[in-house]
Amino acid sequence: MPLTFIEIEEEKSRRIWLFFLILLLIYFIALAALTAAAAQFLALPYDALLKPRHIALLGVASLIAASIHFCFSALDTVRFVRDNLGALEPDPADGVHKRLINVLQEIQIVTGNKKKINGVVIPTLAMNALAAVDLRGNATIAITEGLLSRLTRPQLEAVVAHEAHHILSGDCLETTVAASLFGLPAAAVQKLSSAAIREVRLSPALLLTWILLKLGQILNLFISREREYRADAGAVRMTRNPLALAEVLDLLSRNWRGTGFIENGMGMLCIVNTTAAARDESEGWWADLMSTHPPIRTRIAVLLKMAHSDVSALAAMTKSNAGVEAAKSSAPVFYALDPKHQWQGPYRLSELSVLPWISPLTWISDGKQAVERAWKTPQIDQAVFTNRLEQEEKRPSDFSCPSCRQPLLDTSYEQTQVYQCHFCGGTLVENVKIPRIMVRGENPSTDRIRSLSRAVIKENQSRRAGPSSKDVRGETAPLRSCPKCKNPMMRTFYSLAYRVEIDRCSFCGLTWFDSDELEMLQCMIANKMASDPFAGTSGP
Amino acid sequence: MIGWILLGVVVLGLLWMVIVYNGLVSLRNEVQNAWKQIDVQLKRRHDLIPNLVSTVKGAMAFEQDTLEKVISARAKAVAATGPRDKAESENMLTQALGKLFAVVENYPQLKSNQNILQLQEELTSTENRIGFARQFYNDLVASYRIKQEVFPNNIIVNLVGGFGKEEYFEAEQADRAVPKADLSLR
Repeated sequence: MPLTFIEIEEEKSRRIWLFFLILLLIYFIALAALTAAAAQFLALPYDALLKPRHIALLGVASLIAASIHFCFSALDTVRFVRDNLGALEPDPADGVHKRLINVLQEIQIVTGNKKKINGVVIPTLAMNALAAVDLRGNATIAITEGLLSRLTRPQLEAVVAHEAHHILSGDCLETTVAASLFGLPAAAVQKLSSAAIREVRLSPALLLTWILLKLGQILNLFISREREYRADAGAVRMTRNPLALAEVLDLLSRNWRGTGFIENGMGMLCIVNTTAAARDESEGWWADLMSTHPPIRTRIAVLLKMAHSDVSALAAMTKSNAGVEAAKSSAPVFYALDPKHQWQGPYRLSELSVLPWISPLTWISDGKQAVERAWKTPQIDQAVFTNRLEQEEKRPSDFSCPSCRQPLLDTSYEQTQVYQCHFCGGTLVENVKIPRIMVRGENPSTDRIRSLSRAVIKENQSRRAGPSSKDVRGETAPLRSCPKCKNPMMRTFYSLAYRVEIDRCSFCGLTWFDSDELEMLQCMIANKMASDPFAGTSGP
Repeated sequence: MIGWILLGVVVLGLLWMVIVYNGLVSLRNEVQNAWKQIDVQLKRRHDLIPNLVSTVKGAMAFEQDTLEKVISARAKAVAATGPRDKAESENMLTQALGKLFAVVENYPQLKSNQNILQLQEELTSTENRIGFARQFYNDLVASYRIKQEVFPNNIIVNLVGGFGKEEYFEAEQADRAVPKADLSLR
């Protein structure tokens, strides 16, 4: 992919100068305020402050301070980011890490080996990825262990390509510099304070963090949301696989993206913002101005449109090559994306229904319309999934699964009635029944559940809830709708001590547990694996 | 006065020719470099295959035919020169490898063998690298060809010469064909 980035380079250096000027201005105002306060304290006349000599002195002082600040923060940012996140080099002896190393090299090839990009792994269960470049020219892509282990190869390629595009297009340098001025110092202070201060609710460190984060938000004004769309498009251009990236975004939107672990100041470097803020999910000039990331739903929609042309080309080829038979019959045919990310088809409905790997979340296209999840196509929904559910012995209920949109099955778990999804394994429980389930232990937990719970507890202990977590509770993005009333559900932790993320509808008194979440909570409670609710919290 | 203007036009024209010529030369070199990159990756694949064959040989005594096909396809691929020739032989090698891995699926003790899993990962990665290197090369060839053929660059190309038409590295035909699923319930 030949990249000619002269214009972008020019734009980039202009913006970095702009950041420097803003920094200068902030220092000037701060120093002016300080001298004014000092004058007030020492009862000096104010006229002296307005003399040109004094102003020039202030200007020089702030220039020196800003230059030192700028050099310190923007020169060695990559190392700082890595240290702050505790990121490690991938281990070549580890199969999953080896895959990351390989994928990184593959993506470098498609970009023509323009720049050496390092990869690091952040040891956390959270799911996110970020890129950082500094003025020394070091470039790094960091992926969390949680995301790395849950991605298929094509999905990993898409993520790495997205981050590589940020790096090569130069917008990453601009974002890293913006983050390094205030966001990263805020992150450092947050980390220090959460390690040192346990139960003090108000401390100078918190005030400093707050001020730095607010100053950082000024720079957010100059970070364009568009860059994420461009990086998505660039990733598709490299990997030619828009659906893999759409799937990753969908996965990220429904999981813990690292709030509390990846500090707020670094949010703008990530592929999706660490906090699921409602502002990020809204459109309009205010959101465009204040937010660093565009709405995930829009990003997915754009990617799906790209995939459409992908499938229609395939459909055209089928007709000209081998699909004469399929074209003759008038029955509708569909293309489906298999787990290895290859389009398969054309299939008739009867053929689709016997595919072992089809699920309501499989991507389907009829070759003409845009690509959609299988549950969105009424014919397939009826012919495949409703049929499968009818073969089940359990009775379907009136509720439907918030991700697969299929009726939940009336199931008995720990001798009480719950509603379970046949396809994704999620469970819907009425709030009154949760305590009953939690105290009963008829289904002993498996090794997998036990080790998962241990990992979550360990994560919670190291997770620091900074001032940010308050925003998260306040305005979560409505990503799942209640199976009963269809209103958006609240995404919260089960409790302070058992921090497993669940979706709750406060109107209907229902709680949705994703697959494994209910079992994990049971295991934690039965084995008293609670994390200390005060450990690591320093939020106000 | 008119003399000066004429001189100016001639100098500008020469300058323009130099710029176009230099642009074409650097693009030609980039194309050649991109081709070398494909070569590096192809070599990587050729080096992996003997390992693979020796790992599976013991367990797959009954599949000598498949193994021999892989070996001979590799030999042909190593010997091939030039984009078209290479593309053809590499495609044959890809098909032979595909068959081998399909057969490996039938041997549970091979499927779970750690060595094979690693080799499979390496081969997948190499195949991706070849694909990406090819994509990069083809993109460059496309822009090189465009630069040669647009007016007025084509005048210079014909005048100076030395800019050959680089060939595209064609994708495998089997890659493009739609897989036909056999779902007749037996």
